[in-house]
Amino acid sequence: MNVKNEILYESPRIGVFVCDCGSNIAGHLDCPDVAEYARTLPDVVYAKENLYTCSEAGIGEIKKAIKEQDLNRVVVASCSPRTHQPLFSSSCAEAGLNPYLFEMVNIRDQCSWVHMGERQNATHKAKKLVRMGVAKSAGLAPLDEIESSLVRKVLVIGGGIAGLSAAQALADMKLDVILVEKTSGFGGLLQQVHRLDSGKSAKETMLTIIDDVCSRPNIVCHTQAKLKETGGYIGNYNVKIETKEGLFEEKAGCIVVATGAVPLVPQGLYGYNGKNVISLMELEKKLKKQEFSAKCVVFIQCAGARTKEKEYCSRICCMIGVKNAMLIKKKHPLTDVRILYRDMQMYGTYKEQMLWNARGMGIRFDVYNPGNPPEVKEGKLEFFQAVTGKTVSLDTDLVVLSTPLVPGNDSGSLANMLRVPTDQNGFFLEAHAKLRPLDFAADGIFVCGSGRYPATSTEARTQGIGAASRVAAILFKEKLVKSAIVADINPDSCVGCMACLSMCPCEAITYNREKQTCEVNEILCKGCGNCAATCPSHSAQLRGFKPEQLLAQIRAV
Amino acid sequence: MLDVGRHPNITLLAYSELEKVEGEAGNFTATVRRKARYVEEDKCTGCGACAKVCPTPVEDLYNEGHAKRRAIYSWFAQGIPSTHAIDPDHCRVLSGKKCGICQKKCEAGAINFAQKERVSELYVGAVIVATGYDVFDPVKMPEYRYGQIDNVVTAMEFERFLSASGPTAGHVYRPSDRKVEARIEELEKKVKKSQKVLDRFERNHEITTHEFYGAYKAGNLNPGEDLEKDQDKWAKKYEAHLENARPLKTLREKAKGFTSAKKLAFIQCAGSRDLRFYPFCSGFCCMHSIKEAIIAHEHDNDTCSVIFGMDIRAVGKGFEEYKIRGENNSNVSYKRSRVAEITKDADENPVLIYEDTKEQKVKRQTFDLVVLATACAPAKGNRKIADILKIDVDQYGFFKTDSANPLDTSRSGVFVCGCAQNPMDIPESVAQASSAAARAAQTVINKNDKKAS
Amino acid sequence: MTKDILVLGGGIAGIQSSLDLAEMGFKVHLVESLPSIGGKMAQLDKTFPTNDCAI
Ligand SMILES: Cc1cc2nc3c(=O)[nH]c(=O)nc-3n(C[C@H](O)[C@H](O)[C@H](O)COP(=O)(O)OP(=O)(O)OC[C@H]3O[C@@H](n4cnc5c(N)ncnc54)[C@H](O)[C@@H]3O)c2cc1C
Ligand code: SF4
Ligand code: SF4
Repeated sequence: MNVKNEILYESPRIGVFVCDCGSNIAGHLDCPDVAEYARTLPDVVYAKENLYTCSEAGIGEIKKAIKEQDLNRVVVASCSPRTHQPLFSSSCAEAGLNPYLFEMVNIRDQCSWVHMGERQNATHKAKKLVRMGVAKSAGLAPLDEIESSLVRKVLVIGGGIAGLSAAQALADMKLDVILVEKTSGFGGLLQQVHRLDSGKSAKETMLTIIDDVCSRPNIVCHTQAKLKETGGYIGNYNVKIETKEGLFEEKAGCIVVATGAVPLVPQGLYGYNGKNVISLMELEKKLKKQEFSAKCVVFIQCAGARTKEKEYCSRICCMIGVKNAMLIKKKHPLTDVRILYRDMQMYGTYKEQMLWNARGMGIRFDVYNPGNPPEVKEGKLEFFQAVTGKTVSLDTDLVVLSTPLVPGNDSGSLANMLRVPTDQNGFFLEAHAKLRPLDFAADGIFVCGSGRYPATSTEARTQGIGAASRVAAILFKEKLVKSAIVADINPDSCVGCMACLSMCPCEAITYNREKQTCEVNEILCKGCGNCAATCPSHSAQLRGFKPEQLLAQIRAV
Repeated sequence: MLDVGRHPNITLLAYSELEKVEGEAGNFTATVRRKARYVEEDKCTGCGACAKVCPTPVEDLYNEGHAKRRAIYSWFAQGIPSTHAIDPDHCRVLSGKKCGICQKKCEAGAINFAQKERVSELYVGAVIVATGYDVFDPVKMPEYRYGQIDNVVTAMEFERFLSASGPTAGHVYRPSDRKVEARIEELEKKVKKSQKVLDRFERNHEITTHEFYGAYKAGNLNPGEDLEKDQDKWAKKYEAHLENARPLKTLREKAKGFTSAKKLAFIQCAGSRDLRFYPFCSGFCCMHSIKEAIIAHEHDNDTCSVIFGMDIRAVGKGFEEYKIRGENNSNVSYKRSRVAEITKDADENPVLIYEDTKEQKVKRQTFDLVVLATACAPAKGNRKIADILKIDVDQYGFFKTDSANPLDTSRSGVFVCGCAQNPMDIPESVAQASSAAARAAQTVINKNDKKAS
Repeated sequence: MTKDILVLGGGIAGIQSSLDLAEMGFKVHLVESLPSIGGKMAQLDKTFPTNDCAI
C-alpha cells in the first residue's frame, strides 16, 4: 500500500466549512448555528460558514485555512458530492493537502430541501450529519492516485466495414493497429453484396477501403486468424492470436470488437429451397452474377424475425429488400415486383425517399398480419390483402425471404474470452444502450457494427470510426490515472473463502492458488465495496471507507 | 452534461453565436459573438434568488409555453452553466423602467445591467456542427386543428407534462381543464376584490348587498340619507361582482369533475412522410410515442393509449421488444391508419376521424387528449450556418454528407453529427458524435504533422 | 496551425463530441446559442430505450 503513514497517525486537525448555498440551505436551516456546533466537535480546530463555499471566495477561505490553521482534514457541508466533490478535493490538493483527506456532507439535497418549513428539525439533522462526517474524516488517510502504463496499440477483431473503418481511423490518429480477421479475406458480409443502397458497387467500395488499410504501415493485418486467449486489463491487454503460421502473443491497450453478424438461413420457412424460394443474401448473389430472371418476384419481409423466439427487428432488411426490388424493377421493368411487409422500416431521410421512389416505379407493397402470414406452395403465393379484404393468389417464379441478421455462432465464445456480456438475442451488450452505445462495461473494450445490433454499411462505418474515438480518448493520455478508492485484501487474514470473488461485478478479484488468498486488481476495481461488505474476516476493505471510519460515523448518529 | 461544465479542456461558450469562419482545415479563425447575459459568469453561483423576486413573468419556452418564468432566469433548473441571464426584451430596467430588485437581492453581486456583448476570435483546426433540429409546428396542418382544440398537443409539450419538474408536476392534466382552472383563479381574484368592497358597504349600512339589490330592483328601497345618492353606483358594483361570481360558481362546479387525461391518442408522422411538409421519416417519433404512452401508464394505471401510424418503426436495439412490452404491460395499442381529421365534442374532447384499414371503415373515436408526433424538421438556422461555414445542405435542409464519408460535410475540416445531419435518436446521435470527434482529431493531427515535415 | 476544435451546438451530439475530444487532450470550444447546454434531450422526461432520466 502506498499510503503515507506519517499523517495517518498524526492527530487530526479538522476544518469544517458550512455552505449557505445562498438561500438553498440557509433559507431552511440555521447555518451559523451548525458551524458553531461543528466547532465543538472532537478534533475540529476551525469552522466557518460561507455564503457559497464553491465560489472563488469560498474556495479561497478553504485554502487559507488549510495553511493558516494547519488543517489535515477538510469537511464541507453543502450540496451533492456528485457535482462538487471534485472541485473541493482538487482545491485541497492545490493548497497542499492530499485530496483524499477531504470529506463531504450533503446538507442540501438530503436535508434543507427535504425538510423545508421545519427549520429547527432541519438544523438538528444538519448538525448530526456534520457530526457523522467529522467522525468519518478523522479516519481518512492520504492516498495516491493509481497510475498505470498504456500500450498504444489496438487490437481490432473483425475485418468487415466496421472493423476496417475503425482500423483506418485509428491509424489516422497515429495509433498502431492489429487487425484480426477469421476468414481468408477482408470485407465481411459486403463481399457477398451486389450493390449498396447508394447504387455503388459493394465490391469496389470495399476494395478501396481494404487497399487503404493494407497499405498503412501502422496496421498489421492478419487473415485466417483467431483470438485464442486474452488477459490483462485496460491499457495492458495480453492477447494470443492463432494464425496459419502459428500462435503469437501481442500486447494491446484497447480492443475493438467488430465481428458482425450473419443472415439467418430460412430453413423450414415458406418452403425455402434455395431455388425459387431464396433468402435475401442469395438474391444478392444472383444479381451479382446476373443470374436473375423472373416474371413475378415477391419479397416477404420479417421472415424469421419479430417472432416469439426472435423478437427483435433486424433494422436493415426492409431497406435491403427495397434496394433490390428497385434494382430488379429498373433492369426488368416488366417483372411484377411485390413486397409483403409488416412495417416498412424506412427510417430517416434517405430510406424513406427510397420508399417513395420504389412506389413510383410500380413496386407494389402489401401489408400482412403475422397471425395470418402469406402461404407459398408450388409456384403460387397466397396472402390476405387488408385493403381489399380479399385473399390474393399470385403465380410467382421467385420468392425472396428477407431474413434477419443473427449473431455469428462463435460470438458467444468470443464474449466469454473477453469477459463481456451478450444480450438475450446473442448480440454484444454495450455499457449503456443510450449514452454509451460503443463501450463495453469493461474498460478499454469497445464494440461497433452488426455484432452489436444490425447496422447498414454507413452506420457500421460510422460506428467503427466512433469506436476509434473512444479508444483515442484513453490511449492519447500519457498514462492511466484512476481514483485511489479501491479495495485491498489483507493477505494475512484472508482465509481464501472466495466469497468476494462472486460478488465483484468488475471481475477484479482473483484467487491466488499459491498463497491461497484472494487478490484485487487495482486497475479493474471500481471501488463499489461489495467485497468489503461480503468478506467474513474483514480482510477486504475499501480505501477511504475503513470499518473503523464507518463505525465512527454510525456511532456519531 | 455536468462533465462538460467541469472538464478542464472544454471552454463552454453558452448564449453565443457563430458569426464568421475563415481559413481552411487545420487553420480556421472563428468569430463568436457572446450575447450579454447582464449577469457576470464568474460571480453568479446559480442560486436563483434573483428569479424568485423578479416581478416580470415571461412565457417559458423550455416548458413549451405551459409555464411562466421570470425576466431573469436559468433556461432550466439543472442547466449548465447555471449562470442566470436577463431577457432584455422583458426586463424592466433594460426597457428603461424602474426595478432592479434582482440586483438588490443578488448576494454575489453578479448582476450588471451595463454588460455588453463580446466578440471573440477562436483559432481552431476543425469544426463539428451539432446544431440539431427544430420540432415541426403542426399549426400548418389544418386537419388536426392544433391551436384551435386545446387538447391536441405536441409530443414535446406532452414530454413537459410528464416531467416531474414540468408545468403540471408530472400529471397529465388536460390543457382545456388547466385553462378553466386559470380562469377560476383569475375570477377568484376579482371576486375577492369586489367582495371586499361589498363587505365594507354591508358593514356601513347594515344591510346585505343581496337584500339591498333585491329592494333596489323592486323599487322599494328605503334608503338612508347617505345611501340615497349612491344607490345606483352600489347597484352597479354589485352587478359587476355578480358578473364574475356567477361564472365562477359554474366553473367551480365544472372543475369538480376534472381528472387527468386517461384516454390518449398518439398521431404519428405529423409533418413527416407527408409531401406537403417533409417527405422523410423522422425516425424517433414512433419510439417516443410508445415511451410517452408507457410513462403515462406508469403515472396512472388507468391510462390507455392508441398509437395511430402507417408503420410503427421500432428499429433500434431493443426497440421492438419495448414496443411489445408497451402492448402487453401498459395498455398501449397500435392502429395502422393515417388519421384524417380531428374535431372536438362539447366537453372539449378531441374526436379522431380515421379509416380502419383492417375493416375498411371510416371510424370516429373520442379521446381525452391527443398527442401529435411532430416531425424532426431541419433547423431554421441551418441556412445561416451553411453560409457561414460554406457547407452544403441536402434537398431537405440537413447538412449534406455522403455514405462513404458519413461525418464529412462538403468542406474539408468541417464535420457534422446528430440531428443536424439526419433525424436520429439519442443512441445514434451519441455514436455519430464520437465518430465526428475522431474525424476532427484526425484532421488536426495530420494537418499539424504536415507542417512539421 | 492549431489543435483546438470548435463544436457548434450543445445538444447530446455536441456534448459527446466535446467530451471525446477533451478526453483525447484537445482543447474544445463548445458554442451553444441558448443560455444552457443540453438541447432537446434536456426537455425530455425520460428517454427510450432505457427509460432512465434524460439528464
Ligand atoms: C418529443 C420528443 C421525444 C423524444 N424522445 C426521445 C427518447 O426518448 N429517446 C431518444 O433516443 N430520442 C428521443 N428524441 C430524439 C432526440 O431529441 C434527438 O435524438 C436528440 O435530441 C438529437 O440531439 P442533437 O444534439 O443532434 O440535437 P439537439 O438536441 O437539437 O441539440 C442541438 C443544440 O444546438 C444548439 N444550436 C442550434 N443552432 C445553434 C447555433 N447556430 N449555434 C450554437 N448552438 C446552436 C441548440 O440550441 C441545441 O442546444 C425525442 C424527440 C422528441 C421531439
Ligand atoms: S445572478 Fe445572483 S442571485 Fe441570480 S442566480 Fe446568479 S448569484 Fe444567484
Ligand atoms: S418514426 Fe414513425 S412517426 Fe416518425 S416519421 Fe417515421 S414512421 Fe412517422
